[in-house]
Amino acid sequence: MSDKERIQLLQGTLDLLLLQTLVFGPQHGHGIATSIQRSADDELLIDHGSLYPALQRLERAGLISSDWGTSENNRRARYYTLTRAGRRRLVTETRKWETMVRVISRVLKPGEAQ
Amino acid sequence: MKIPRWLRWRSDAELNEEIQAHLELEIQSNLDRGLSPEQARRAALRRFGNATLVRERARESDPFFSLETFVREVRYALRNLLRVPGFTLAASATLALAIGASTAIFTVTYRVLLNPLPYPDSARVLMLDFGNPTANLPSGFRSISSQQYFQYVDRVRTLESVAAYQVDDLTISGAGAPERIRVSRVTPSLTAVLGISPIVGRAFAEDESVPGAPAVAIISYGLWTSRYGGNPAILGQSVNLDGAPTEIVGVMPQSFAFPEAGIDAWVPLALTRAAVSPGYLFTAVARLQDAATITDARAELTRLTNELEAEQPGNGYRQFVSTAVTLIEGTVGRVSTMLWMLLASVGLLWLVACANVANLFLVRADTRQREVAVRRALGAGRGSVARLFLAESALLSVAGGAAGLGLAVAATRLLVAFGPASLPRLEEVRVDAVVLVFAGALTALTGLVFGTLPLLRSVWTAPSLQEAGRTNTGSRRRHRARHALMASQIALALVLLVASGLLMRSFQRLLAVDPGFDPRSTLTFQVGLPPVDYPGRNRVVTFHHALLDRIAALPGVTTVSATTCLPLSPEAFCFGNTLAIEGRPMQPGRFPRPVAQRAVAAGYFAAMGMRLLRGRDLDRADIDRGEPVVVVDEAMVAAYFGDEDPIGRRVAFGYQSNNGPWRTIVGVVQNTVTTGLIELNPIPKLYLPMSTSGGPDLPVSGLVGPDISVMSYVVRSSTPPLGLVAAVRRTIDEVDTTVAIARIETLQQGVDRAAGQAAFTTVLLAAAATVALLLGLVGIYSVVSYIVSQRIGEIGVRLALGAEPGGVTAMIVRQGGIVVLAGILAGLAAAVAGSRLIASLLYDVNPRDPTVFTATTVTLFGVAMLACLLPARRAARVSPVEALRAD
Repeated sequence: MSDKERIQLLQGTLDLLLLQTLVFGPQHGHGIATSIQRSADDELLIDHGSLYPALQRLERAGLISSDWGTSENNRRARYYTLTRAGRRRLVTETRKWETMVRVISRVLKPGEAQ
Repeated sequence: MKIPRWLRWRSDAELNEEIQAHLELEIQSNLDRGLSPEQARRAALRRFGNATLVRERARESDPFFSLETFVREVRYALRNLLRVPGFTLAASATLALAIGASTAIFTVTYRVLLNPLPYPDSARVLMLDFGNPTANLPSGFRSISSQQYFQYVDRVRTLESVAAYQVDDLTISGAGAPERIRVSRVTPSLTAVLGISPIVGRAFAEDESVPGAPAVAIISYGLWTSRYGGNPAILGQSVNLDGAPTEIVGVMPQSFAFPEAGIDAWVPLALTRAAVSPGYLFTAVARLQDAATITDARAELTRLTNELEAEQPGNGYRQFVSTAVTLIEGTVGRVSTMLWMLLASVGLLWLVACANVANLFLVRADTRQREVAVRRALGAGRGSVARLFLAESALLSVAGGAAGLGLAVAATRLLVAFGPASLPRLEEVRVDAVVLVFAGALTALTGLVFGTLPLLRSVWTAPSLQEAGRTNTGSRRRHRARHALMASQIALALVLLVASGLLMRSFQRLLAVDPGFDPRSTLTFQVGLPPVDYPGRNRVVTFHHALLDRIAALPGVTTVSATTCLPLSPEAFCFGNTLAIEGRPMQPGRFPRPVAQRAVAAGYFAAMGMRLLRGRDLDRADIDRGEPVVVVDEAMVAAYFGDEDPIGRRVAFGYQSNNGPWRTIVGVVQNTVTTGLIELNPIPKLYLPMSTSGGPDLPVSGLVGPDISVMSYVVRSSTPPLGLVAAVRRTIDEVDTTVAIARIETLQQGVDRAAGQAAFTTVLLAAAATVALLLGLVGIYSVVSYIVSQRIGEIGVRLALGAEPGGVTAMIVRQGGIVVLAGILAGLAAAVAGSRLIASLLYDVNPRDPTVFTATTVTLFGVAMLACLLPARRAARVSPVEALRAD
């Protein structure tokens, strides 16, 4: 799939994806990137680089924490872990997101409302 | 400056390591998918995106990062600015001028108009003021009688306390040379009204205002330190005030300047219910009750005043309407228009300066487009390029602001030193924290205004590297912003020029006003005789004659005389009364016009250079014999006689004095000004021989005329008048060494002081307009020069193809001229719209005076076109070969 076919991430949704990815345990940057890529079936256009400023922002907000660990290829890598606050945030943000999707879909395709 | 590693939230090295780890993992997974090592590396890099940008973004979220970048960017900006010293100097000097002028005028405006008076809860302190609608006087009558005072003290409910006062000059002696000092006679209630107590000693007791009570005085901080060295032992000591032993009981705080600056002492005002009079001799202030509003107080004061009509019919009480104002409004109300005007004009000047610097910045930004394009191409974010420009404008405005603050401090000192005496509260003006905050805020705003404009163009509409690399003829769009700035500079400069032109014309008219006397080459000074040594009128007259004769004999003196009140003296009206005319019964309910009375020595009109219009002068024989004769002026004739012949008619002082004593009118002189140079309605005056007027033994309330113990001498000389001062002092000492003299000045200085406020406004506005004009010219010149330099290739082509150099010049001038005209039209529209605001400051000049508008417009157009012509001619002289090579 070429870059042009991939969709751009909606503003503000990257944080949600990052938090969701970390639900399954600590992960380093590359792992998070591949994980998102894989679950999105490669349809999302994300510069891997753009994850890092976002991760720092989340860490500063206390939603995730980080520590050095060792990667698959035996290299030092920074592992990110979801904090309790992050978990709570993920729940509320997910709920908000679902509501939004529902509302938007209802408006866009009134006939198919569940 | 580098932030120490231990202080940083996350180091660059750590982030780099993290990114490196990421890339290696990605390359590994790419290799696993079967890509070649080279392909795997490139795919990973592409997938990662702009690593520099990532590092920058990540770093931006570090709290210390911003400080570090800030320092780095400021240093970079500083280097850049120092590389173009001419630009830097021009821009920061312009800003310093604008910020300095604005801050200085703001300082004065803030201190005089906005800062509350230094009394507790000062918004509740009122100044009593009355209007008399039937006499076409909407407001501004500030005097009350003792009848009114006691009426209010006894009955008023909306006011907590009321105080009456008047200002007087007395001689202080004992412990030091005799000195004329300015005192305010006040009722003891003043400290309650103002809420201020002496810092040393005590306030007056209620019974100290009763006649016959031991004399006491409270002195000012200034007199305390200058005359008594700030020694607290002065309390309880006795000094001589006008010869009467007086005990000093207190010292007021340094900041206390009531009712005006320069009061040296306060003494109790002797007022009793037993001896009330209808004379409007006092001014009054009052403090509002907590529950009352100023509207309530006005209604009640009007009612209480009107009720006095029964006691004293025909004194005007029935017609009065209270127009009481807050004390600050009453003190500074008349200068507020002037100060706001000045503030507005420095505001305009500031805008011109911002436009000018913005223009310089635009030029600079354009020449740096290539640099910006390169930076963007190398991955710099918009933010970082914007910061680069902002750092420069911030540095410039900080430099301008700092220099401007210095200028403002100096200018404020100058304003305080040379400000007109009529500007109240000038002594309170000083540079303090408020001023610093203002200067700081103005500096920040300045940086923002001229900093963002070029930013919008260079950063957001940054051309591609390819475009920026080409030197081209410049698109029309690129010049639009520059032209708009140039036009607005012209418009603002025109507004200021028109305003200052109007004021100058008004000032010219003001100086041309005939004061009614000849102020040239005449010395004046005031002599006060202590009532203890000169208890009777005859002794006073003898002293004056002895002094007049000796002064007349001094070399250089041509004539000398004396009066109880000079025109334009600080007391203004000084003394006066209504008149009764013999054979004309008083008309009930009609309050005749008060006439100012001046007791004079012989030859007063000659000494003042006043023209005698009819009849005769008052001579020495009138004074020696105490003849009941008077001379009146044209305004008095108009008010009392109309077309009738006044000579030979007899008048008595006080409109109820139907039985005399009568005084015969023997002459008519021309009007003189009284309170100020501009008097739409001249105050009627009457002159009487000093031997027939009031004296220390004849109370002022006895309807005999002003007290002649204090006289102002008028010495006309053929030599420079101030050169006579030493001789005059010696002469006085020959007559009596205990007599003090004061207010030594020439008549001309009095006139100049009266014109002072107008001169002040005019000079400041003219300075603002001149600076705006100069800045505007620099602006036009630099814009046209820049446009010419951008079009040099095109001009070369034109010349090479045979265009006449004159035609090229004309083309550039024409294009500049269109912008100049647009600016002038906008400026004219603004000036016409704003002319109403300046109207109240003008004397005898139409705020839309066609001469002023034409002259300023033509001048501005002329110099603006000259500023276009110079670079245009340079363009036409360009050699086509060189011009084309430059491209």
